[in-house]
Amino acid sequence: MSLENLVLITGQQIDQGVALEAGKTKQKYVQAAGVCKFDKEDFRKLGCLIGTPVKVSTEYGEVVVYSILSEEAPHPGIIFIPAGPWANQLVNPDSQGMGTPTYKGMKAKVEVVENGKVLGTIALLKKYKK
Amino acid sequence: MINKHVKTHTDVVCPFCGSLCDDLEVDVVNDEVVEVRNACKIGTQIYFSSNSDNSDRYTSPMIRKDGELHPATWEEALEKAATLLANAKRPLLYGWSSTEAEAIQLGVELAEITGGILDNCSSICHGPSIMAMQDAGIPKSTLGDYKNRADLVIFWGCNPVHAHPRHLGRYSEFIRGYFRKDGLNDRFMVVIDPRTTHTAQLADLHIKVNPSEDYELFSALRTVLKGIELEEEYVSGIPREQIEQLVEVMKSCNYGVIYYGLGLTHSLSHHRNVENAICLTRELNDHTKFLIQPMRGHYNVAGSNIVFSWNTGYPLAIDFSRGYPRYNPGEYSVVPALLRDEIDVTIVVASDPVLNFPAAAVENMLKHPLISVEPHETPTSALADVVLPVKICGVEAEGTAYRMDNVPIRLRKVKDGPNGLLTDREIMKRLINAIKQKKNL
Repeated sequence: MSLENLVLITGQQIDQGVALEAGKTKQKYVQAAGVCKFDKEDFRKLGCLIGTPVKVSTEYGEVVVYSILSEEAPHPGIIFIPAGPWANQLVNPDSQGMGTPTYKGMKAKVEVVENGKVLGTIALLKKYKK
Repeated sequence: MINKHVKTHTDVVCPFCGSLCDDLEVDVVNDEVVEVRNACKIGTQIYFSSNSDNSDRYTSPMIRKDGELHPATWEEALEKAATLLANAKRPLLYGWSSTEAEAIQLGVELAEITGGILDNCSSICHGPSIMAMQDAGIPKSTLGDYKNRADLVIFWGCNPVHAHPRHLGRYSEFIRGYFRKDGLNDRFMVVIDPRTTHTAQLADLHIKVNPSEDYELFSALRTVLKGIELEEEYVSGIPREQIEQLVEVMKSCNYGVIYYGLGLTHSLSHHRNVENAICLTRELNDHTKFLIQPMRGHYNVAGSNIVFSWNTGYPLAIDFSRGYPRYNPGEYSVVPALLRDEIDVTIVVASDPVLNFPAAAVENMLKHPLISVEPHETPTSALADVVLPVKICGVEAEGTAYRMDNVPIRLRKVKDGPNGLLTDREIMKRLINAIKQKKNL
């Protein structure tokens, strides 16, 4: 199943902050930041189990992350990915001429992917190192 | 039994977020942290991560050879970094928000002698706030003043329960103040956020604004404040009656504060959102006392703006390519400069842009040599060409940091840290000397 016309918001979360300080290349960080948090009603429409990897895509890129239910719900139509390299595959780098990228408010689409794999921090980023 | 080897450090200042909590107690045995009291979850983790059992900690400088990072001597690593910077046509010097003011000052000199672009992390967080302040000024005070006086606390586009975990307890909501003897019972708390965040779950009033529509809501509040009736039934998803109710709440308080976060600066209108918020605050002062405070992220990001300003006249996005500082956010800001692919060498001090920048900017940064000044393995240091490991500021080194309200606080040193590592300050000094020699300055 898939969901379209969602709004993606990224931001800080305390467990992701702790994982940052504990080690950004460790698995605990992937579990804290490589996730997409859904409103309960939206998640029901997706028709998958909690923890299933989903592919989130925006105009600027796509990434596979774990799906979880948001504790900061209800927020129908909004998905949340903690600030980090997974979110940064999806954000709008354009700053409308003032310098700060647009990290919040992108239009996003979510699909359940068969055998989806959530990459670790370095595995996700090392493709850029030529 | 009392362990005589425990050394307890009190009034330790936490080097994590802009709240800069200064009441920590840290127990140290044989240069290892064994207990941290009073800190939040994240602050506690910083102290424990400095211990020798953390495999992510660098113990010697590293240089990339044949695609892999290999240990090197300080002479080799500093020589390599200095050569890269001295030969660069358009170097970028980025980071600075998680180090002490004295190292930042030397960073400004390094930018001047290399003719580079100098920018700090506010470029991707509260840079829009600074631009709005330059446009509109800002009515603000210190956290102690808010604590003692505020009876209306508004959190707009920020989630301090997650990002500044002790802020509510130390400065803004739960704490008892001189004129607010009953703490949270003497305060009214409003949260304006599209999600029912954990902060919103504590609020007396939660206003669920549509994402990226804060500008319209500020304008609507200003309209109602001027006594003009709204024509629209809903603005930014909020019914007219609720907007009128919020204006009444704002007008009737004795002392109000708007704390705002990246919800305003990271959405489409960026600095225009903040400017509208400042104008609203200014206009509210016709009725009562009202102030506004950005929730700064890293512990010394305010300090990086301040140190840049008193050295160059500008707080961020500074270009030294003509030998004198020029300021133009949007052009010399780090992400647009990387997107234009004009940077040929990057040095990152106390930051992790590979983790934090949009993918397109990371891709361009990693095409060219990268130098990382960093205590732990991070995506930036793991993909860098030269790694210069340092002592952790606020844990193993002293220095000055500026809290989110621009109050300078002296960071404490609680332990010595691994042997053979330098501080950020020493690395800057050595790089400056080496580059001056190479350029005959």
